[in-house]
Amino acid sequence: MRDAIKALATGTLLAAAFAAPASAQSGLTFGILVPTTGSEATYGQDMANAMNLAIDELNAAGGVLGQQVTTTVGDDACDPQEAVNAASKLASSGVVGVVGGYCSGATVPTLKIFGDADIPFVIAAANSTQLIPANPGNAFMINSTGNDQVAKAVEFFESQSINSLAIVNQGDAYSQDLAQLTRTRWEADGKTIAAYETVNKGEQDYSAIVTNIRAANPDAVFWTAYYADGGLLIRQLREAGYQGVIAVGDGSNSPELFNIAGPAAEGVIAFSNPIADFLPGAAAFVEAYQAKYGNAPGPYAPLAYDGAKLLAFAIEAAGSAEPDAIIAALKAVDYQDGLAGAISFTDENTLARSNFIVLRGQGGAWTLAE
Amino acid sequence: MIWTILTQQLINGIVLGSFYALVALGYTMVFGVVKLLNFAHGELYMVGGFAGFLVLSVISGTVGMGWPAVAISMLLAMIGVGFLGVIIERVAYAPMLAAPRLSILITALAVSLVLQNGALALTRGQYVPFGAALGFGGLNLGPIFISNNQMILVGTAALLMVGLELFVSRTQYGRAMRAVSVDKDMCALMGINVNRVIAVTFFLGSGLAAAAGTMAGAYYGSLWYFMGFLIGLKAFTAAVIGGIGSIPGAMLGGLILGLLESFGTLVPGVGSAWKDVFSFSVLILVLVFKPTGLLGKSEQERM
Repeated sequence: MRDAIKALATGTLLAAAFAAPASAQSGLTFGILVPTTGSEATYGQDMANAMNLAIDELNAAGGVLGQQVTTTVGDDACDPQEAVNAASKLASSGVVGVVGGYCSGATVPTLKIFGDADIPFVIAAANSTQLIPANPGNAFMINSTGNDQVAKAVEFFESQSINSLAIVNQGDAYSQDLAQLTRTRWEADGKTIAAYETVNKGEQDYSAIVTNIRAANPDAVFWTAYYADGGLLIRQLREAGYQGVIAVGDGSNSPELFNIAGPAAEGVIAFSNPIADFLPGAAAFVEAYQAKYGNAPGPYAPLAYDGAKLLAFAIEAAGSAEPDAIIAALKAVDYQDGLAGAISFTDENTLARSNFIVLRGQGGAWTLAE
Repeated sequence: MIWTILTQQLINGIVLGSFYALVALGYTMVFGVVKLLNFAHGELYMVGGFAGFLVLSVISGTVGMGWPAVAISMLLAMIGVGFLGVIIERVAYAPMLAAPRLSILITALAVSLVLQNGALALTRGQYVPFGAALGFGGLNLGPIFISNNQMILVGTAALLMVGLELFVSRTQYGRAMRAVSVDKDMCALMGINVNRVIAVTFFLGSGLAAAAGTMAGAYYGSLWYFMGFLIGLKAFTAAVIGGIGSIPGAMLGGLILGLLESFGTLVPGVGSAWKDVFSFSVLILVLVFKPTGLLGKSEQERM
């Protein structure tokens, strides 16, 4: 019985605690949906930091619709179940819109919750093509999808007059998807797939694959999976004397690649989502971020910052904080001030242009290739 | 053209198989003597890699980063990890030897998790570049290329295996090991120090895993806390193919698995995505026609 009373008391306190921000506020509240715990917490915290920086700047410039903006964070922990809880919490706390979404798997189930609650949702980082059919119409993806990466990759290969391509993936959903999309597109252009190989995660020896690739002798090798095994493959390809182009997808754009591949990573091409270091207009952002948080912004910080600014821009354009007005404004948006480039949307609410950039390994670090 | 590829894959398979064989030997020796599937064995390969790296970073100032330095690092890592294996046996396994088989198996999994997560905590999940500078030279036989590193690797592995075989067949401890694997209780009655024989077995098995770990670090160029997991599974498979408990069986099984994996990438129509299906099908076939493995002996009282 005593336990029941305690539980009741705790419940009341909790309810009061949750209700308090909504009732005490006069301004607007933006919801932030990112993983702040779990394996991806570093990336999530980085995105939340970038969004808070954007909102500080908005408030300093007079707020949105003349009102100050506050934020409330929902932690999705990169886990579909946690994400549903976090999204429900945000949906019931009176937010005018939500920015976030890092893990695609955790973002998919939140789409219905925000859709039912009629809350505009700017998806900052998550970019699986699975998000597109699951979108009830209120969500907007400002990161390019896998299709865009393929387009960028094919465009780059063709610009280097590459005719035959070897594709190596790791058999998981992400890398296989990228490999298959590239293969289809490449063959549709009438070019040759010299080899299409799959390796196991964590295998250190790729000599058998390397031998097959050497024998097929393609103009370029495209690794579509993550940096850990990619680094080893690059090293073994170069040691075996392969001299063609080696390119890697956005799962391998980590600087750790240089630790693993060593000098063999020199000249390797990476397709990457926009990283602050390589964005022409991001110098001031990097400086402000560094000053406020004491470390450099991570890979998804520019997109998160753009997401928060975009939501504010759409609210101003709509002239009201009504969900339907904001969603209509986002659909028609033409936002030119994004760090990662201009933002407007297709009919499917995906980014109208590809924001992928091409990097080249040089002296143990990435530099902009084009 | 096809012969070139086949020959090159043969070389790849032998190199890969040497690693599998070295790790499989530890599995099979420990199983032979104490009937334990030491699932922490793959982790000793990983610890061996890091131990070799530590030695190398200390001595590289005086002896450089080439093969001589790697050889010294390997020997010291073998001794260090050998003692680690003995300590693990004393602390985790010895008190459990009389307990049901399943308890000690779970203890082995626990030891594996402790080693793996210990390395994760120490390295914070980062990849550690090994830092050896081995050079790129090699032997060109027409279109076929064998690098010096591959020859040194396979030569070292062969040397270690011949040494082990001589130790087991010619020395007093080797004879004691063989006797303990047949009947532990009778050996104790005959005045053989069974505990010491078990310690020597763990020392040798762990040392061989450490040798493989250091060579892998030098050859592949980087170390990771999780690197022992997959090779542990593969080496166990190799030991089963060859007949677990049999030392020549582990060598043969390692070599066969390495070759199967290399040639498995060439299976027409399916290619590299199915190479494991190919090698594990062979494992199943071996077990169907020879349940004790290729060189294993059947013994009624065993499981």
